[in-house]
Amino acid sequence: MSELLKGKVAVVTGAAKGLGAAIAERFRAEGATVIGADLHPVGDGVACDVREESQVEGLVAETVSRHGRLDVMVACAGVATVKPIVQMPLEEWRAVLSVDLDGVFLCTKHAGAAMAAAGGGSIINIASIKAFGGSPATGHYGAAKAGVVSLTKTAAMELRSFGVRVNAICPGWIGTDMVNDRKGELEAVLGVSFDDYIAHVQGRLGEPHEVAGLAVFLAGERSRFSSGGAYVVDGGARASLV
Amino acid sequence: MELEGKRALVTGAAQGLGHAVATLLLERGAHVMIADLNAEAADAAASRLGDRARAVACDVTRAADVQAAVAAAVEAFGGLDIVVNNAGIEIGKPLPEITDEEFAQLMGVNVTGVFYGIKYTVGELAKTRGCIVNMASVAGLDGVPLLGAYCASKAAVLRLTETASRELRDLGIRVNAVCPSFIDTEMVERLVAPFEAATGANFGDLTAQAQGRLGTPAEVAETVAFLVSADAGFITGAAYVLDNALTASVL
Repeated sequence: MSELLKGKVAVVTGAAKGLGAAIAERFRAEGATVIGADLHPVGDGVACDVREESQVEGLVAETVSRHGRLDVMVACAGVATVKPIVQMPLEEWRAVLSVDLDGVFLCTKHAGAAMAAAGGGSIINIASIKAFGGSPATGHYGAAKAGVVSLTKTAAMELRSFGVRVNAICPGWIGTDMVNDRKGELEAVLGVSFDDYIAHVQGRLGEPHEVAGLAVFLAGERSRFSSGGAYVVDGGARASLV
Repeated sequence: MELEGKRALVTGAAQGLGHAVATLLLERGAHVMIADLNAEAADAAASRLGDRARAVACDVTRAADVQAAVAAAVEAFGGLDIVVNNAGIEIGKPLPEITDEEFAQLMGVNVTGVFYGIKYTVGELAKTRGCIVNMASVAGLDGVPLLGAYCASKAAVLRLTETASRELRDLGIRVNAVCPSFIDTEMVERLVAPFEAATGANFGDLTAQAQGRLGTPAEVAETVAFLVSADAGFITGAAYVLDNALTASVL
């Protein structure tokens, strides 16, 4: 590794597993100090429920107080269930929106404020290619991710003059527990073999480290003119209509 | 180094964005064939940029020239891993004032040139499971007064990129596009006078308001270097915008 994030202090939410864990691991390998936050933290991670404003505010304040700065925020915590819209209880819709959209809003708000006060930083919100179109059986997730892309653009404009960059990463189907644990449910709704579906739309499942590489690029100085972007990492899934 | 041993062909590499891309790929360890319409400038750039740089004259609107540039890279370096289809031209005029010849010439360089840069490089890239980056623009995403022909050509580059990414996926070839906004190049300098004359607005003020400042060619080169790196292994068919939040606004 080339120490692309040497000296940087980063918070990663949802860091206990999946994409968050891969991003935290790669950030450390690149020389960053990483605070791994999760609802159920592992190792030296810290507890944070991103639905609770006081907890997100505390996470940012504690990081700045302990490490003297916050250079990078990766809002990665996310959840999903599988259910068509006409069958979805309002409580289930809200449960997903509260983590996937409210949580990202709170991370952007509090990290953005701290970074603006300090003169700069990079916020990376994990969205999805579901932000750009329909999301069968995961309508709450898709709506939340579209919201994440929108709030990312707004924050990028509002924070530009403070030196704070805000970007979204939009992964396609990545081989995490979130996806693998729901193959059966997705097959039932989609009516096709999940593996065949993946092979057709994006060749193969992506790997968490392949998202982490993009996060490193957006966190570091090499992307210093990139803000307000929604960067796709999806094996080409979104590029083709059929 | 991150691109140690990689072999690249960059079109329009004697100046501007292409030159910055060639410079950075060389810095990261790659071998680079500098292809340019201006043979003298290409030679001078290659001499200046060191042992791993070579030059070839190339008019990207001519299939034979593009094929010859590929052959030159393969002969010099033993193969081809990276193609950056960067050569492009602009016209800064309202649509009714663009002559037929100007429009056809722009489409020839910006669209046909990219088409050839895909068509005639696939054979070599399939051998190395290599990748292509096409230089598009935020002007390919939305309309811009005085840049109608340029906008249309860059939108075409994005559709070529997407289609090629799917067609070439099973060969292991990735194809992506970069969409810069206003960058500090001679091309953008040439647009300042016509833009100010047509709108009465100050170009510097507009740039500051829309994107904070002009981007630098080196910053565009960094995005290209990322897309050709191992870290971008699952990225294909994508348009990577580089605009300091210009297109984040719908206003």
